[in-house]
Amino acid sequence: MSLLKINDLKCHYQTDTHTVKAVDSVSFEIKEGEILGIVGESGSGKTTAALSIMGLLPENTAIKGEIIYNEKVISSLSEAEMDRFRWKDIAIVFQNGIEVLNPVMKVGIQVMEPMNRHLDISQDETRGKCADLFRAVHLDPKWMDSYPHQLSGGMRQRVLLAMALSCDPKLLILDEVTSALDAFTRKEIRDLLVELQKKNGYTMLMISHDITFVSSVASRVAVMYSGRVVETGPVKDILVSPRHPYTRGLVHSTPDIFVYKDLWGIPGDIHTNSDFTGCPFFSRCNQKIKKCNESAPELVPVGDEREIACHRGGVAELLKANDLNYSYQLPDGHYLKAVNDVDLEIMEGEVLAIVGQTGSGKSTLAHILANVIKPENGKVTFMNESSNKANYGNKLNGIQIVFQDPFNSTSNRFTVLDAIKEPLDINKIWSKEERVEMAKNALELVHLPCTDAFLNKYCGELSGGQRQRVALARAMVMQPKLLIADEVTSALDVSTSANVMRLLKGLQNRRGFAMIYISHDLSMTLKIADRIAVMNHGRIVEMGNSHEVMLSPSDEYTKRLIDSKISV
Amino acid sequence: MRNDRNSFIFRLLLTLFVILVINFFLPRMMPGDPFSTTSDDDSGDEVIIMTEEQRQYYMNYYGLDKPVHEQFLVYLKNLLKADLGRSIYYKMPVSDVIMLHLPWTMFIVLASTVISTIAGVILGTFSAKNRKKGSDRIMMTGLIAFAEIPSFLLGLIMLLIFSVHLRLFPLAGAITPFAHYSGLGEQLWDILYHACLPVMTLSLAQLTGVYLLTRNTLITVTTKDYIRTARAKGLGEKTVWTRHALRNALLPVVTRAGFMIGIMMGGVVLVESVFSYPGIGMTLRSAVVGRDYPLIQGILLVIAVSILICNLLVDKIYSKLDPRVTI
Repeated sequence: MSLLKINDLKCHYQTDTHTVKAVDSVSFEIKEGEILGIVGESGSGKTTAALSIMGLLPENTAIKGEIIYNEKVISSLSEAEMDRFRWKDIAIVFQNGIEVLNPVMKVGIQVMEPMNRHLDISQDETRGKCADLFRAVHLDPKWMDSYPHQLSGGMRQRVLLAMALSCDPKLLILDEVTSALDAFTRKEIRDLLVELQKKNGYTMLMISHDITFVSSVASRVAVMYSGRVVETGPVKDILVSPRHPYTRGLVHSTPDIFVYKDLWGIPGDIHTNSDFTGCPFFSRCNQKIKKCNESAPELVPVGDEREIACHRGGVAELLKANDLNYSYQLPDGHYLKAVNDVDLEIMEGEVLAIVGQTGSGKSTLAHILANVIKPENGKVTFMNESSNKANYGNKLNGIQIVFQDPFNSTSNRFTVLDAIKEPLDINKIWSKEERVEMAKNALELVHLPCTDAFLNKYCGELSGGQRQRVALARAMVMQPKLLIADEVTSALDVSTSANVMRLLKGLQNRRGFAMIYISHDLSMTLKIADRIAVMNHGRIVEMGNSHEVMLSPSDEYTKRLIDSKISV
Repeated sequence: MRNDRNSFIFRLLLTLFVILVINFFLPRMMPGDPFSTTSDDDSGDEVIIMTEEQRQYYMNYYGLDKPVHEQFLVYLKNLLKADLGRSIYYKMPVSDVIMLHLPWTMFIVLASTVISTIAGVILGTFSAKNRKKGSDRIMMTGLIAFAEIPSFLLGLIMLLIFSVHLRLFPLAGAITPFAHYSGLGEQLWDILYHACLPVMTLSLAQLTGVYLLTRNTLITVTTKDYIRTARAKGLGEKTVWTRHALRNALLPVVTRAGFMIGIMMGGVVLVESVFSYPGIGMTLRSAVVGRDYPLIQGILLVIAVSILICNLLVDKIYSKLDPRVTI
């Protein structure tokens, strides 16, 4: 039975000049004894949703929808009627701030206040219960006679927790309880919450932008963005395979989950235009289609207790390869299986690294995926179309590949301008003037000068790093949806390669294209990849989340590969 | 802490010294002297009522013919012996003159502070609760406009309406002259009856300040997180307003009330003159007219010291009310 049910809740803050849709059509329910986490970045409407349950929103808020607690609609109650539910049934642990507690009242008094109001017990019993509560949150009862400013942040958070527990509420709302605390105190509070929940079986609604914290306590999680729930599901599933592009961005920018990866936030900002009727994530999404601009998607079940609000059904598949095989004929007539029954898929905006030693078939696989060579059998589909029929290398928004050796991939006799606009020239895309313009834009993207002097330089005059960037710019003019980077840094010195890598990842993050990054350099791979596929003798022997592959490899070859890293 | 205390005492003494210097020299910078006064202070002409010899005699008698710095040293020396000097006009010790009039002033100042504070807090709370509604707007505009009327003018208007036209209150004085009281109750009633208009005038003059401070502090306080916490606890609107909002909003009001007493001690002069109320304000006025240097010095000193004491008291009370403040 659900203890709390929220139906199509809308909370719009109305000021004189505009309306802020803090919560927009949100529905969720919490079962008795369950811990539901709500995550989302600041301004996503989490706290507003929590306050609306308690009926604590400011007067200038237009509230629509239903809040049902224990089969009773509480959203339409008057203040006085609501007071009977507040704290006795539903209590909230506020985010620790200097003024969450009344600065001129002793904390003990403040903890006892709701007990005096809601419980029918004597003053002595109240004081005794207060002391018990202090002990329960691991705080010495002697602090009862202190004022809030005399306590540390962690102690105040404990007082707030003790206060929330004072009337034995059925539903406990926790609003950013750890965000202002240091790592050590954060861990203590987390353990305390888990302990209290085990002992007393509270139903909890846990709100935080800290997805790691929420995941460590909650069983189910709802991800909010711009006032809407975009994804819900069991915590583990959401963390391992986030389906909504926003959830993925959130998980990927959490350093506690991807310990090795460089930190790249979700590019762009939350949209602020309240008249916009499309998907709230539209401006930051890397897989948007026309429909996303027109209507906001509803939250729909997608199986396995998961729900998602996305017109494309969540992070969409970009490229899929089945049963790929390719062999080279050796001089002695034997065949070498370079690619052996390879299946893989690439999602929109994803970075997949393919690692393996030289000769494991990585480059051959890359060439097949880019439709440079045809596989013996098997099939590659790109955006749900077979790549054999429509060559996506020749089109804008297709697949582009950047090769290992810039000295061979760009001709010495071409000027920089010619080299970059070559794919546009060959495929007759746009007018001549536009091509020059696009070439200049691409140069800017890869942080090269776009002066006439540089444009007219011959590629032969450039350094290795510059030439690899020119090769990258040439790929970028085609605005690919998928970029295959085949050992792009192995011909460069360490510093140059670091620069090229950051540039590449930065471009990927900003432009939102998917990338297959092929390398034999594990350390480098870990910095940028979301997923890793390990190849050996033409087969993919292991594939998974980069941190999982790295921390707990299951395949023998992967283990050897990781061990072979030379550490200083 | 010790250093803080020492520097606090040092600052206090320095303030006191500066006040003494000003108190001493300011009256002497006025034209004229105690022995060439006018009998009719409206005409502005100096009417010599003494011969030059008599004048010299008196100047010598009161030590006013000595160089100014010597007079000042004598003044300081006497002060250390708690001797404020003798009033030239009243022909009695300054301290006696002050003790005769100070209670009246204290009475109306304290009474009006209490009344204006209570009324201001009540009105301010009402206004804050009805913020942005018609009643709040009307009250605020009205009281701000009202506050622009100077207190002596207000006193005059009150006097004209209530005493001259309606004959509800006496025109002057603190008690009915030559009255015989049958008991303490009757005497008390007479005192209150006379104090009514001056106290009302002073209270009204202070009301707007308290009202605005209460209203605005309350509005700020009600946006604080702890008010939301109190609401969440389901304590009920009344408890939220009194125990949580008002308790915090009153802190600056208390400070203000303390300072107000001090400021009113000085400002009461005009109101007392309007009502011919025999407080030190009136006495100061006549002392200035009569160039009664010792009395002027004495009264100014009492006013200054009472302002200092009020400030100290405010600090003490504040630290009791707000645990975050330590002195």
